[in-house]
Amino acid sequence: MYLSIDQVFTEPILRDFERQSGVKVRAVFDTEETKSTGVLNRIIAEARSPQADVFWSGDPVRPQLLVKRGLVRAYVSPEAAAIPPGFKAADGAWTGGAARARLLLVNKTRVKPDDMPRSVRDLADPKWKGQTAIANPLFGTTTMHVAALADAWGDDALKAFLTQLKANGCRIASSNGEVKRLVASGEVAFGLADSDDAAEALHDGAPIEVVFPDKDEMGTLLMPTAVVPLAGPHAEEMRRLVDYLLSVPAEQKLVDVAAHLPLRADVKPAPGGKRASDIKTMQVDYSRIADTMERLQPWLREWAGL
Amino acid sequence: MAPGMGWAVALRRREEALLLVAAGVVLAALAFLPLVFLGGELAKGEALRQAVRALSAPRTWGLFLSSVGIASAVTILSLGIGLPLGVLLGRSDVPLRRVALWLHAFPLFVPPFLLALGWFHLLGGGGLARSELGIRVLFSAPGAILVLALALTPIVTSLVAVGLQAVDPSLEEAALLVAGPRRAAARILLPLVRPAIALAALVVFSLAFSELGVPMFLRVAVYPGMVFSRLGGVDYAPGEAFALALPLFVVAVGLLAFERRAAGRRSFAVLGLRSREVPDLRLGRWRPAATVFAAAAALLPFAPISALALRAAGGHGFVELPQWIGSSAWNSLFDALVAGTFVLALAVVIGHAAARRRRGGAGLDALAVLAFVMPASVLGVGLIATWNRPSLQAVYGTSAIIALAFAARYGAVGLRTAAVSFSQGSEHYEEAAAIGGARFLRRLGRILVPIHARGLAAAWLLAVVFCLRDLETAVLLYPAGQEPLTVRIFTLEANGPEAVVAALSCVQVAMIAIVLALGSAVLFRRKR
Repeated sequence: MYLSIDQVFTEPILRDFERQSGVKVRAVFDTEETKSTGVLNRIIAEARSPQADVFWSGDPVRPQLLVKRGLVRAYVSPEAAAIPPGFKAADGAWTGGAARARLLLVNKTRVKPDDMPRSVRDLADPKWKGQTAIANPLFGTTTMHVAALADAWGDDALKAFLTQLKANGCRIASSNGEVKRLVASGEVAFGLADSDDAAEALHDGAPIEVVFPDKDEMGTLLMPTAVVPLAGPHAEEMRRLVDYLLSVPAEQKLVDVAAHLPLRADVKPAPGGKRASDIKTMQVDYSRIADTMERLQPWLREWAGL
Repeated sequence: MAPGMGWAVALRRREEALLLVAAGVVLAALAFLPLVFLGGELAKGEALRQAVRALSAPRTWGLFLSSVGIASAVTILSLGIGLPLGVLLGRSDVPLRRVALWLHAFPLFVPPFLLALGWFHLLGGGGLARSELGIRVLFSAPGAILVLALALTPIVTSLVAVGLQAVDPSLEEAALLVAGPRRAAARILLPLVRPAIALAALVVFSLAFSELGVPMFLRVAVYPGMVFSRLGGVDYAPGEAFALALPLFVVAVGLLAFERRAAGRRSFAVLGLRSREVPDLRLGRWRPAATVFAAAAALLPFAPISALALRAAGGHGFVELPQWIGSSAWNSLFDALVAGTFVLALAVVIGHAAARRRRGGAGLDALAVLAFVMPASVLGVGLIATWNRPSLQAVYGTSAIIALAFAARYGAVGLRTAAVSFSQGSEHYEEAAAIGGARFLRRLGRILVPIHARGLAAAWLLAVVFCLRDLETAVLLYPAGQEPLTVRIFTLEANGPEAVVAALSCVQVAMIAIVLALGSAVLFRRKR
């Protein structure tokens, strides 16, 4: 099994599955800097002789790249019935699970309550020059976020925003985890990261305020996790694992330990947390975002100086 | 003579050449074939056109020159610190110089990104010595240069220090009759260890130029990052990555040419592995200042390691360690021991050929150095293309692939060390045995290996330690569920508890320290 969800959150769930099923799970986890694209590209590189039976992705966009290359072995799990439409593929190519939201992490010691940013556009506001951070959009969930913004605003507006972001001295961190560190330590006033990064910072007692951006306009980007069945060598074990990862106990655990937002109605949100249905979310087509993501890559590389 | 006997005799006569061919084929299969497969990706679709476009873009060469600049600065800084320190710790009367050399050299065997993480815990937000200036410097090109130079200076210091052990003391004594210690060191000793300095510069530049983890962590754009972006980004383009790696090969060839030119015919005769009593260079009134310099150089690299230990202890990281470490430490050790042994087998044959200037020896040495300089991500993807086949699952699906990848990447480390050892031994023993009718395998088993046992053990130890500290090769290839400790640290570094990550880093450091201590103990015992 290959995963692009943090090892710290998923390893306990895999151990539970092993205890219940007696099936041993051998996992390859992604590193933060190459989150999602690391193991994703390993799956592509191994296409000649597939090694992985399941890809548990941190988002449903990158799996579209596997679908395009014919590396997915579609399977409609009985558990998928409880997942709302829009968060799963009808043919079973991928099925969504507990979701992360893209949030603004704000350092309360540096930003007054009246000055709280409200939109991702505030990252490029000259008022915050040199005081903001995002992860490198070539890797990780930020890739998907900028692609979603391009779909919402148009390519030109997105490019203008990113150019302004750079001119505004926004720090380009190597990962969302580093954005969290920068905000938590007060090196920047606020930054864009994922809800699990926010939960981790709050758990560590960092002086963080969490802002769901753009809730009055286009909405906050939500990224469900995605369980993707692959054409690996263990078809039967793959189905059992997919069923378990989409089950209530697995989603509940991901919600509890990683502060994800539950998609299933029968899973409770984390204490003080929200359901996906409680927030105004961006309306996105994950398949279209995948196309946009590929289209934007050359420009993003140039923007990032790579 | 029976017809079959003729072949047997011919084979025996060509034993050395055949063994070298076999070792060369293995090395080529590990280090060269993956590049051939990767190069084949250029023929697919638009890959060639995109590669040409990437290579003709001004920003490609801007980043390339910037990386050359960073690696040059690291090399100059390392030489600036390492040369005087090598003289002080290698030949002077500075107190406790052997202990200081060990302490100073130790961080070399720690993955550089752990040192960067340690510096972050020291200077970054919440760090013990946090300051705005410190943070600004750390997360910048000068910061990356400083972190890398501190990590790599021990290469210069160690090679110069042990190289000085091989210098004929009578030359130094003659110089001291007419000049002071400073002049004797600058005019006599350092020129005599020119091959060691050239090799050190080659290794430091290569490692600094191909380093990805530290610049990525410190948000500094470097050329290997551009290569990696073709393999780690959304639009996976291995052919383009291969094309972008081509300038790195040119740099590698240039470095080798520089080293050969600088070292001349003594290219491999750099390390004083033989025991020899030499008098200390007396520093006189400079001794106190030199002692402070040596102490600072020995202790400074421990600042980031200490910061990691304090972070781990402060957050109960050591208490939680058992539930996070899994079998990763054992995986690291197993992979490194197997790979180190494999490297040694190749190094005995190829290192001997390189040291004795046999035909093909220099070419295979160059191939090993090329694999050492190549970005790990390029080598890794090439190895996947080569070895991931249904019929090769016994290799690709197991930790054997890690051992092969390590052997490809770190073969140069063992090979160079073995070559150094062979080049310092007299060829006369071999010639006498050959005249007496001993075949190459017999000469190898009865003469070469016993005489050079210490040097070969050092080659094995160095290869093992380099494999233990590896992250970038293993992270691309490790079999599911069998990640080494460095990979586990890196995957947990994202959202894992900081104290646990720091504790795991301490385990990594301790594991390398124990292996080095045990290895050194064995080497020392053999010496007696």
